[in-house]
Amino acid sequence: MQALLVSNLLLWVVVVALAGVVLALVRQIGILHERVAPAGALLGGEGPRPGERAPELLLADLAGRPVRIGGPDPGGASTLVLFVSPSCPVCKAVLPAARSLRDAEAGRLRLVIASDGPPSEHAAFARERGLGGESYVLSTELGLRYRVGSLPHAVLLDAEGVVRARGLVNSREHLESLCEARARGVASLQEYLAREKRAAGGGEA
Amino acid sequence: MSGALDPVVSAALRLGLAGLLAAAARHKLRGRAAFRAALAGYGLAPERALPWLAAALPAAEAALAAALLVPASARAAALAAAALLAGYALAMAAALARGRRGIECGCGGPAGSRALGPHLVARNAVLVALALAAALPAAPRPLAWVDLVTLAGALASLACLGAAAELCVAQAARGRELRAGGGA
Repeated sequence: MQALLVSNLLLWVVVVALAGVVLALVRQIGILHERVAPAGALLGGEGPRPGERAPELLLADLAGRPVRIGGPDPGGASTLVLFVSPSCPVCKAVLPAARSLRDAEAGRLRLVIASDGPPSEHAAFARERGLGGESYVLSTELGLRYRVGSLPHAVLLDAEGVVRARGLVNSREHLESLCEARARGVASLQEYLAREKRAAGGGEA
Repeated sequence: MSGALDPVVSAALRLGLAGLLAAAARHKLRGRAAFRAALAGYGLAPERALPWLAAALPAAEAALAAALLVPASARAAALAAAALLAGYALAMAAALARGRRGIECGCGGPAGSRALGPHLVARNAVLVALALAAALPAAPRPLAWVDLVTLAGALASLACLGAAAELCVAQAARGRELRAGGGA
């Protein structure tokens, strides 16, 4: 009798604890839903659209090395142009993600960091962030040609110099969505969703 | 319906039902305007009766919750609660039959809105069955302190699992909404 009593009490403790854990997990799923909901770079309305040829520019980076943006790439690599500013906190978070993405693509992706303003400020920013080895170009013209509005903004060019994907990128997921967009041949999150909707017949979704 | 329940099962059902009704009354009284708007959305009651109904339903729920706690009135209160819940289920089924799927159901928990759907009718049917079981007489037997532990454990796990089920349904609905409205 004593054994049954003890086991019963113990089981109640376990049942209540498990019910609490189930509730906590379900709540956690809700929080995750909120976090991951819209994951994709947001495409603005202006500048070269995906599928169009990018303007060809020959610029120099902070160290004076020539950097070509646009046009066919002799090494057959894609180019990721990341527009940043030293005064934008999100840019600092996106920079390491862009570099690790470039490293993960191993030679098939070239990273160009683009900004404009006084060189001394950018040299300090590059030193502080350890960007010494990167192609860091300062050009007002580049930003104007691509009609970059809000930062951080990323443009992905293929080896032929054609814009494959571009958009406002706030996280690593957004950056990766650009590569995903290139792989799937979809220009943007908006186009992907529109295509999904058409495929679903516009009714039941 | 015949037969008698073990007093612990009966008490768990009655206390659980009382807790559910009290929570429902509290939500409705907290969001009176929202509840009135939800009632209007059903389109079943005439416009003039809405303010009266919006006040009477939570009052009835609170009164039934209190009556369930008193042994003398518990059986009658359980039957009345079953009738009330069955009425809700019928109102939902009627609104669904008239193509009002997706309207605010007015039965939302603390998280607020719940869209009306067939699952809510099913949920209320289950609650009606539980309320009817709570109306069965309890067979007398000497109670030990272990029975108290059983009662507390049953109520705590029921509350957790009920809340988890509600959240699951709400999240599934939100997921459908996201997929449906994402391209717009």
